[in-house]
Amino acid sequence: MADKVILYDATRCTACRGCQAACKQWNENDEYIPPPSDQRGVQAKSHGSYENPPDLSPQTWLKMRFTETENNGKVRWLFTRQACMHCTDAACVKACPNGTLYHHEFGFVAYNKDTCTGCGYCIDACPFNVPRSTRNLFTGIAKADKCTFCTTPGLDRIAEGLEPACVKTCPPKALQYGDRDALVAEGRKRVQTLVAKGYTNAYLYGEHELDGLHVIYVLDDTPEAYGLPVDPKVPATTIAWKDVIQPVGWALGGLTILGLGLNFLIARESKIKKEQPAKKEEPAEKEK
Amino acid sequence: MEQEVERYRKPTRILHWVHAGAFTILFLTGLILFIPALGFLAQDSWTRLIHRIAAALFIIAPLIYIPLNWKATLRGVKDAFSWGMDDVGWLMAAPRYYFLADEEAMPPQDHMNSGQKMWWLLVIVFSGVFIITGLIMWAFKTVAPAALLEWMVLIHDIAFIVTGAMFFVHIYLSVIHPLMRPLRTGAWSSMARGKVSAHYACSHHAKWYERISKGEEIEHQ
Repeated sequence: MADKVILYDATRCTACRGCQAACKQWNENDEYIPPPSDQRGVQAKSHGSYENPPDLSPQTWLKMRFTETENNGKVRWLFTRQACMHCTDAACVKACPNGTLYHHEFGFVAYNKDTCTGCGYCIDACPFNVPRSTRNLFTGIAKADKCTFCTTPGLDRIAEGLEPACVKTCPPKALQYGDRDALVAEGRKRVQTLVAKGYTNAYLYGEHELDGLHVIYVLDDTPEAYGLPVDPKVPATTIAWKDVIQPVGWALGGLTILGLGLNFLIARESKIKKEQPAKKEEPAEKEK
Repeated sequence: MEQEVERYRKPTRILHWVHAGAFTILFLTGLILFIPALGFLAQDSWTRLIHRIAAALFIIAPLIYIPLNWKATLRGVKDAFSWGMDDVGWLMAAPRYYFLADEEAMPPQDHMNSGQKMWWLLVIVFSGVFIITGLIMWAFKTVAPAALLEWMVLIHDIAFIVTGAMFFVHIYLSVIHPLMRPLRTGAWSSMARGKVSAHYACSHHAKWYERISKGEEIEHQ
């Protein structure tokens, strides 16, 4: 099946955060608004930015990030999405020990929340710092959450042929949903237009990153300027763990059991031989 | 009845079995994360909770044992790090013994033979590794840098592989190997009942038997 993507054009975004609201509404992710006395909740307090809420959470899968930069004495206010990028070479899918996270037929990173063990390895592995979890530190009971590309069972818009909720609601059409090839071509065209207008650092983020993301950004500046990781990678520790240590563990465990079985057969033979032929065979053997 | 000598005192035996039980639970609840087909057993974090309960036991049991059995602890740790030429000889002769039932070349051994000592040393070192990496993952899951947590998982798993493989060897050489049966004598008897026959002690742990025959510190094991 042809891969599908979301194309986000940061230059068209007005930061209305309608996508945030639509995401929460469609996926039934009510935010817990804590009273001021409850310090554990994500506090919706001012921290010098129009960003709100302050961070992603198990209930907030999409959040607009505002970055203020200065260029030749002129303030620039950059908007970008903070949500799962749905990588092709996805660190979370690699790290997930029981296949809870997997690639959807359209290439997105979907997951089955029921089978999540709460290990949190996806949280540590993600180069974009996206997954979040509810977690009881003492008991270890936890569940991870992140953007499902609107494929949550029962709330699956994609299977119904609809676009994701965030795309549907976007007033300036900064978000588009469609076939990867078509939207990559569209993104390239917009970047060329931006370069022609003098935005020489304009960049199409996600075309090649991690073998291609399924959320692609048209940026009028470098990824660093937008606070995005330049050339994100699956962490070396994740690769070492899954592709080296675990196979070695299997081999070592298997060989050990095999070796012990072999030893058992040989030793049993030796023991029977020693005991049966009237103990005359080896007169030199002492009772130790 | 055959004369018997005490090999492990009751507190030591209890520690052994509590630790072995905790390790088995930790091993199994960890193993299912290694077998994707069994991964569904870990869903909803229940194995994580069981893993933590067993981990608490794994940490607390020696913490109770050590102050109450200080001399035995010191003695045991010293044993783990006492290696000599007889150990080299034992390791050289072991394959002939364990495969061909030829015990002629086996040098005399102390309270623990070289193989037991190797496992015991492994237990001391890797218990430390497990506990340190495990506590970091348990207590600092939400505040530690992601890279540190990834390293802890990696190290915890390497320790799991090494001790897991040697755990099989330990059980095998204690109770399954053809020369280790019947269960009345040897390793099983010493850990289950605490006693072995004097004949067994003399033939398998000559150096130790010689010392205890002279009435030396039998109580500190």
